[in-house]
Amino acid sequence: MAEKELNCLGEACPIPLVKAQKAIKEIEVGDLLIVQIDHSCAMKNLPEWAREAKHNVETEETGEGQWEVFIEKTN
Amino acid sequence: MEKKSEDYDVVIIGGGAAGLTAGIYCARARLNTLIIEKSLLGGLATYTSEIENYPGFPDRETGPNIMKQFEKQAKRMGVKIKLTDVKTVRFGIDGHHVETFRNIFHAKSVIIATGGKPRLTKAKNEEKYLYDKGISFCATCDAAQYTDKTVMVIGSGDAAIEEGMFLTKFANKVVVSVLHNEGIMDANQIAQEEALANPKMEFKWNTLVDSFEGDGHLDKVVLKNLKTGELEEVSVDGCFLFIGYIPNTEILKGMIDLNKLGHIKTNDRMETNVSGVFAAGDVRDKELRQVATCVGDGAIAGVNAEKFISDMETFEHKILQKDKVGLIYIYSAIDAIGREILLRMQKIEEEYKDKVKLNVIDAYKGESLCRMLGDACDNKGFCKKFGQVNLPSVVYTKNGRIVEVSSNLTKDTVVNKLNSLLSTTLS
Repeated sequence: MAEKELNCLGEACPIPLVKAQKAIKEIEVGDLLIVQIDHSCAMKNLPEWAREAKHNVETEETGEGQWEVFIEKTN
Repeated sequence: MEKKSEDYDVVIIGGGAAGLTAGIYCARARLNTLIIEKSLLGGLATYTSEIENYPGFPDRETGPNIMKQFEKQAKRMGVKIKLTDVKTVRFGIDGHHVETFRNIFHAKSVIIATGGKPRLTKAKNEEKYLYDKGISFCATCDAAQYTDKTVMVIGSGDAAIEEGMFLTKFANKVVVSVLHNEGIMDANQIAQEEALANPKMEFKWNTLVDSFEGDGHLDKVVLKNLKTGELEEVSVDGCFLFIGYIPNTEILKGMIDLNKLGHIKTNDRMETNVSGVFAAGDVRDKELRQVATCVGDGAIAGVNAEKFISDMETFEHKILQKDKVGLIYIYSAIDAIGREILLRMQKIEEEYKDKVKLNVIDAYKGESLCRMLGDACDNKGFCKKFGQVNLPSVVYTKNGRIVEVSSNLTKDTVVNKLNSLLSTTLS
């Protein structure tokens, strides 16, 4: 299982979502995409989009107002 | 991948106003408390640009800022937080299980505060433009990207009109599609008046969305006039839907009582039909869905979850004790005959000192103990509070197990039964 990190710190919506949508196409099923974000709006659309696309998603708050969204590609 | 198990006293599903408040109350009662939130803590209130009617914030605070305070308080109380979505839940007499992508959480009590999600129009091509392709549900999130542009708002309730006005601070023009006749909106009167006087707002009366159009990104909404049937193309850069919310209860279907719209039915203690499972906030079958009412729900659910857990411990360790043959007497303290029989039972216990343990449940005060006893006896009508179908009654136990339920309370019957239980215990 490979991991790919995507640094979107400092980037506002919709940039993190657009970048994640592009990045998920470049990884294999079973791989993990880790998106770092610090704009709360991305906490709403990024996990929701990934779940709608049937991927597994879990987020961790890594600092005050900063998160890592773990997306396991399932299809 | 093996899922990791963790035990909690209370698992709260949903980290909005209701869930965070329930968390504050549970953690303050020193319960090991977990909140599971699938996106941003704060819930639907974080989608609101200004909250004017939540007391304690007189200066038109934003939804995200108010909810940040809730979050801080919950964290300070020691609430644990996981940011993930719940895949399945299982409710059982021996405890409840909440499963996520990587974990299984075991809980004595579960509080469901999953809120709602925005309703879609179901117009043609809608799904093509969700997720930052032009259709949005959150003005505070996405308003800035429409600076000096044209946006459409669908709906005429409080959220539509108030968020529409917020959007005029950024956009050049906000076109509002309203289902009703000219001049009629569902929003509060003040918001309506302000919106009608706002030069950047334009209303399309008697319309609904027929289709969303655009190459990759939304650039046009086709509205249908309900009266004339005419279609009108409106060029826009984005479209915001505020046409209500549907409760997040898909994973609960068939497991818990829901109303026709999918909201969870509760009583005024926030109890659902499943013992130890509570519901709070927008997901509940209720009239007014506001931060203020969610806070009330959350507090009630939190306190009752705590009470449930303490009753459960009493039930397991005291009522169903294993040391002696058990005689559980359930009665109503306001019933004279019931009180008389209580004296009889106390005398019997004295006669059998060291051999029989009497526990007394007042059905009025100990309703949740009654419910647990009813569940354990598999007799749901066991102690209806005022129906009194079979009150007073006794339950006999041996080695912590229920042996018999009876409403025959003469001294001879009780003594005979105890003797027979004691003789089998000794043999």
